[in-house]
Amino acid sequence: MLPAMTSPVIDLDTLRAGARLAGFGWSDAELEAIRPQVEAALRLLRALEATPVDAEPTTHYRTV
Amino acid sequence: MPDLFWASMTELAGLIATKAVSPVEVTRVHLERIAAHDPGLKSYITICADGALAAAREAESALMGGRPLGPLHGVPYALKDLYDTAGIRTTGGSKILADRVPAADATVVRRLAEAGAILLGKLNMVEFAYGPEGFNPHYGDVRNPWDRTTHRLTGGSSSGSGAAVAAGLAPGTLGSDTGGSIRIPASLCGITGLKPTYGRVSRGGVLPLAWSMDHVGPMTRTAADCALMLTAMAGYDPADSSTSVLPVPDYRVALTGDIKGLRVGLLRAFFLDGATPEVRAAVEQAARTLAAGGAVVDEVNLAQMASTAPAALAIVGSEALAYHATNLRTRAADYDPEVARRLKVAAFIGGQHYVRAQQVRALVRADVDAALAHRDVLLAPSTPMTAPALQERQVTLGDGPSPVRPALIRFTQPFNLSGHPACSVPCGFTSGGLPVGMQIVGRPFDEATVLRAADAFQRLTDFHARRPVLG
Repeated sequence: MLPAMTSPVIDLDTLRAGARLAGFGWSDAELEAIRPQVEAALRLLRALEATPVDAEPTTHYRTV
Repeated sequence: MPDLFWASMTELAGLIATKAVSPVEVTRVHLERIAAHDPGLKSYITICADGALAAAREAESALMGGRPLGPLHGVPYALKDLYDTAGIRTTGGSKILADRVPAADATVVRRLAEAGAILLGKLNMVEFAYGPEGFNPHYGDVRNPWDRTTHRLTGGSSSGSGAAVAAGLAPGTLGSDTGGSIRIPASLCGITGLKPTYGRVSRGGVLPLAWSMDHVGPMTRTAADCALMLTAMAGYDPADSSTSVLPVPDYRVALTGDIKGLRVGLLRAFFLDGATPEVRAAVEQAARTLAAGGAVVDEVNLAQMASTAPAALAIVGSEALAYHATNLRTRAADYDPEVARRLKVAAFIGGQHYVRAQQVRALVRADVDAALAHRDVLLAPSTPMTAPALQERQVTLGDGPSPVRPALIRFTQPFNLSGHPACSVPCGFTSGGLPVGMQIVGRPFDEATVLRAADAFQRLTDFHARRPVLG
């Protein structure tokens, strides 16, 4: 789990590492530009973890 | 014949079949309308004037020669520019695909051609369908025809599809809908737009945004025209593994106007409670109209709506990035900066988020199924507000302030997650003259009931028949 998933603030090192792991070599300026949106997205995604779910994930669904 | 550009597809098909008008005349009228008004609206990326007129002349020959006619014989339409068209560029609203010319038609394009429809052109859209506002830095921001003085959003991503139909630049179009991209512009532009059940209409040959959330469907001025187009388009396609083998009914047969006993659930929490007062009042009045027509209306709430935004973010972001990763590495500067930003943010969505979102999706689907277990359709606003001005970034909704973007998709994306069919119809106008849209949501593969309710509502009201005055 990335530190950002438990912290409201994500630092540049974490952004660099995350981008590199995903295969992107973005500059520090590019990463700084998206930092607020990444933080907002991770805050939103945390709501998924708070949702009680006992269902299997939807995969190939509702095709009849 | 005056105002042919305001005739519905159903009316045009009848006029052509009875030789009251020629396909060439109908096509020419629309091309003249496009030439006169599209420079201001920016709804088209590519206008296929020569091809359309050639097809219209061929349709006229078939008509005069007594050859068999399809249900859309000689009727013009236009396509969001993410449907492959053989020999005609398909840009996805992007610079990256600006010169891409497919070798073959998308499945639904082929089916509409077989039904006799004539392609007027390819429509403007948000780049790669990734955004609900209607902005496009490459081909221009499409202008909402309902306001001559203020540049207002059409909604997106099928921005050109919404504006062209509303302005009489095409009687019908195709859009695509991953988080609301048919229903949002339908709502903001005062037209009728249908997102069919996931699997009802083939996505073969349609550029994807997020495969498991993408739906394609018609945008027209009437529910009857949606039924006409859907009947011609729907059905199994080996080119799209998600398509159903269920038989396709003639959806026009369902349009009886009879809604006596139709069970309608009005969605209160999250939906009506989250809408602006004018939108809420219009949808509540629409529910009373349906009740006066014989429907049985009660109120119902969906429990899982708070989870829909994060689930949609995880799924759409992950799937979109998977599609765009190579171009994002090699041609990032060619993307709309806003689309590039969304794709970059998606790189930080983890695999566990994606799977968790798919689990939540199962809950959302079960939630909507439960609400429809004892009801035929659900009713909700399509968007919480009417068309914002171009520069507006924040809106005040029924439950507080919100940035425009999440506000636009809030009421529509739950049904992309669940896959249920949903049709947006105009249900009122604000005091400032802007249209209000209402969603009618039905059971999976029961587009017939959704369209019956939408058509019945349009027989009881005239909101769908009002026209903007263009400058």
